[in-house]
Amino acid sequence: MDRPARLASTDEPAVDRDVAAQHVEGPTTSGHHNVVAESSGRSPRRPGRTTSILVAAAVGLVVLASLSDFVAKSLVIGATENAALVLAALGFALLYRLTGLLNVAYAETITLGGYFAVWLSSSLGWGFYAVVLPAGILAGLLSVGTYLAIFRVAKRRRVGDLEMIAMSFGLSIFLRHGLQFIFGYQVQFFDIAPPDTISVLGVGVPSFRLLALASVALLSILIYQFIQRTRYGLQIRALASNEGLAQASGVRPLTVTLLIWFVAGLAGGLAGAFYGVGSSVSPLLGSRQLLLVLLVVLVGGIWDLLGVVWVGVATGIALTAMTLQFGDGLYSSLVLIFAFLAVLKVRGRRLTAGTKV
Amino acid sequence: MGDQRRSSIRVEQVQKSYAGRMVVDVDELVLGDVPIEGLLGPNGAGKTTLMRMVMNSVSPDAGRITLNSSDGSTTTLSSLPTHKMAHHGVVKSTQVITDFDQLTILDSMLLAVATTGHEFPVRPGAERSLMSANEDEIRSYLERFGFADATAIAMSAGEKKLLDILRCLLLKPSILLLDEPTAGLPDEVTAKVLEVIRELAADGTSVVIVEHDLDVIWELCDEVTFMAEGRVLMKDDPASIRANATVIEKYLGAGHG
Amino acid sequence: MSLDWLDAFLVSGTFGVVEIVGLGLLLHLQVGLTRIANFGVVGFWGLGLYTFGVLYVQVDWPFGEPWQFLFSALAASLAAALAGLVVAWLIADLDSDGALVGTLGFSAIVLILATTQDQLTGGALGLGGLGFPYDLGTTKANELLWLALMTALVGLILGYVWWVHRTPYGRLLIAIGSNEPLARSMGKHTTGAKLTLFAITCGLMGLLGAMHGVMVRFLDIGSLDVGITLAALAGLILGGTARVWGAVIGVLLTVGLFDIVIQFYVPLPQEWFTQAIPVLREAVFGALLVVVLLFRPQGLLGQMRRSKLIRAMHDG
Repeated sequence: MDRPARLASTDEPAVDRDVAAQHVEGPTTSGHHNVVAESSGRSPRRPGRTTSILVAAAVGLVVLASLSDFVAKSLVIGATENAALVLAALGFALLYRLTGLLNVAYAETITLGGYFAVWLSSSLGWGFYAVVLPAGILAGLLSVGTYLAIFRVAKRRRVGDLEMIAMSFGLSIFLRHGLQFIFGYQVQFFDIAPPDTISVLGVGVPSFRLLALASVALLSILIYQFIQRTRYGLQIRALASNEGLAQASGVRPLTVTLLIWFVAGLAGGLAGAFYGVGSSVSPLLGSRQLLLVLLVVLVGGIWDLLGVVWVGVATGIALTAMTLQFGDGLYSSLVLIFAFLAVLKVRGRRLTAGTKV
Repeated sequence: MGDQRRSSIRVEQVQKSYAGRMVVDVDELVLGDVPIEGLLGPNGAGKTTLMRMVMNSVSPDAGRITLNSSDGSTTTLSSLPTHKMAHHGVVKSTQVITDFDQLTILDSMLLAVATTGHEFPVRPGAERSLMSANEDEIRSYLERFGFADATAIAMSAGEKKLLDILRCLLLKPSILLLDEPTAGLPDEVTAKVLEVIRELAADGTSVVIVEHDLDVIWELCDEVTFMAEGRVLMKDDPASIRANATVIEKYLGAGHG
Repeated sequence: MSLDWLDAFLVSGTFGVVEIVGLGLLLHLQVGLTRIANFGVVGFWGLGLYTFGVLYVQVDWPFGEPWQFLFSALAASLAAALAGLVVAWLIADLDSDGALVGTLGFSAIVLILATTQDQLTGGALGLGGLGFPYDLGTTKANELLWLALMTALVGLILGYVWWVHRTPYGRLLIAIGSNEPLARSMGKHTTGAKLTLFAITCGLMGLLGAMHGVMVRFLDIGSLDVGITLAALAGLILGGTARVWGAVIGVLLTVGLFDIVIQFYVPLPQEWFTQAIPVLREAVFGALLVVVLLFRPQGLLGQMRRSKLIRAMHDG
């Protein structure tokens, strides 16, 4: 059975001028139009129901965890060890959904967060907690820098979708290898005392990871509130759905766009610092995580930003559970990639329509 | 005309609504049982949505749309993928100007006449046989519509529009749906397009036209279906439609009398 | 015949350039004509390389050369073609973002499988035991003949690509690339065309991988990183994605410059070549992608010259 391409918003070559057709949810007219309608319609109703389901699920899991060591380990290690994944995915999703750009070079924002943290901690002699936020801010500024220097120029020059992705791919490679010139080829470690271990549900967790988890939770809530409740958030959503109209109604695109890039970079940089302190910092730090981040963003994006968070958390737990089971992290990645690609195929139609707002 | 059997499209109990507003609500309608049929109605009457449902680019909420081919076979259109429409002879021109921005005018025409056999990834001589089999037809169209250079890439809106109609003609439709075929064309080209439509209809193709230029409708159509608010109000010969008070009130307004 | 005048590294360097030209040409059909974003070239190439290597080394073939090579290479091409078919099916109705994730995901799967199935592939340690399907006496002579065979294969691919531009098939691919919904409304089975395209081009990428395996005679997990994809993409985009000769010119100017001109003709300290030059090479290729796409997205050769071609073919 042949399905319509999502290259264009409608199956018909013509973009219909019939007003009614703009709300079509038919097999072929999944376009940007319905997304706008959907996003405005969903915010008041959705969170309540979703939250109650999730709270129930969480309570169920905690009960299960108290009974089974395996569940407890998967849950605790999965949630804490992969908190950085959720953070990275959140930042990426923010950028992707609000600017429409699938930025491969985001991987290097993550890497640089790690490097900035190591560099600050070794050059200033500060502890990890003190350097996390500055490292994130530096990464955020770098993210803004790449926007101003490259993506803004590209957008003005009307570079096509495919070319835009190729460009971010090129930038990613350039930064990845440029980093090796600046920071050297060796893997770097944080020169800090081993972290305290805190017991959660009977599983020992390094304190950094709890901090990572806490910052993920905090950032997710902040970003969500920011987008859904504040005046700037409203402007961001307006800008994402119709730039011309938003501009006409007084939204200042540059400020808002810079803000998006900064917050996205900040989340990526924090993620990088947490990844780095968990193991080590190397030029490949971010690009190793990129595929997983991409998959979480595309699949979680079927719902909304909060969907990205939940899919990220679930992915982290599944990853840990499978790694505990198989004894090899690569197999769990394999299973996850297959699972996500399957979702992409099945739910793909709504996917691209839904992800870009 | 006369005793010749034509392909037609049967629309039964078809409904479509958007956000609670009924856009199309047609009990029964047969399109294409006359050589040239006009579809008339005010903006928002559901003409375009109906056409799109026929092409299965919009799916109806309820109802059936079937194709009765001239060979006597029947096909349910709503289960047919878009690319198979043309194979069943159902072809629609595009409402908004669209084109292949990398292909020349001649390319577009050759693309229309090429079969899956020609388009096999490895087939020596395919291009030559494709060209020689269709050269006369293509050249006559090019000459007739005054394309100075068929190897250029269509530039003006008029050229693209005309090329779109030519592509439709080359697909040898048994039912041709035209959505405002003459909008934006210069008068002398419009005359040529109408001439071709007449010839096509005389050769057995059923033509269904959505058109806002009323002169074209009155002059060209054998029968006119008048729609308003998603419903078919009447289907009659042009003269009767033109004389009808409802039509005048709903569509033509006082000025048109 | 004495081959002392010939530097052995020059042969392998040229082989690498020819190989990337081949990949770039196939990528031209996917990206330049049909506009499907394949960022997983290394996956198809690597699947060919590893399928070939594993079959060649691990299977106890009942017949000798050249059949052992031919069967293994055929199986490698078929495996890559099948993978191309599956990936194309997966991304057929997704946009460029979906295509990126699908192809990137596929190349990650290939890398993971090559790493984890180490009893077959040698994993991170690598796998030796591959060889030429003939013996001319010296390694250098063997490599030179293999370079000639590879050049012939890539020449055939170039010929095919050149020919595709002049066929109804190529026209269909361009139509899909520039307006797929319109092509579909003209009765074209565009999904089928994309699937066929990927099966053929990815199969050939797999064959190039198998040819690579014979030349290097060793399966190395490091060759499955992003380098191959980057080199093919950077070369193609620099030369011009829409032009037949784009990949050839672009790869000569990028990979040719770094792997032949700088390696052999620029006097640099030897220790630079182990770390600094490879890192610089990738950084330059990445920067090149950004700069070219920003300032000359059509590449050095420029736009597709369809009008000229059609005029030449059909005489106006």
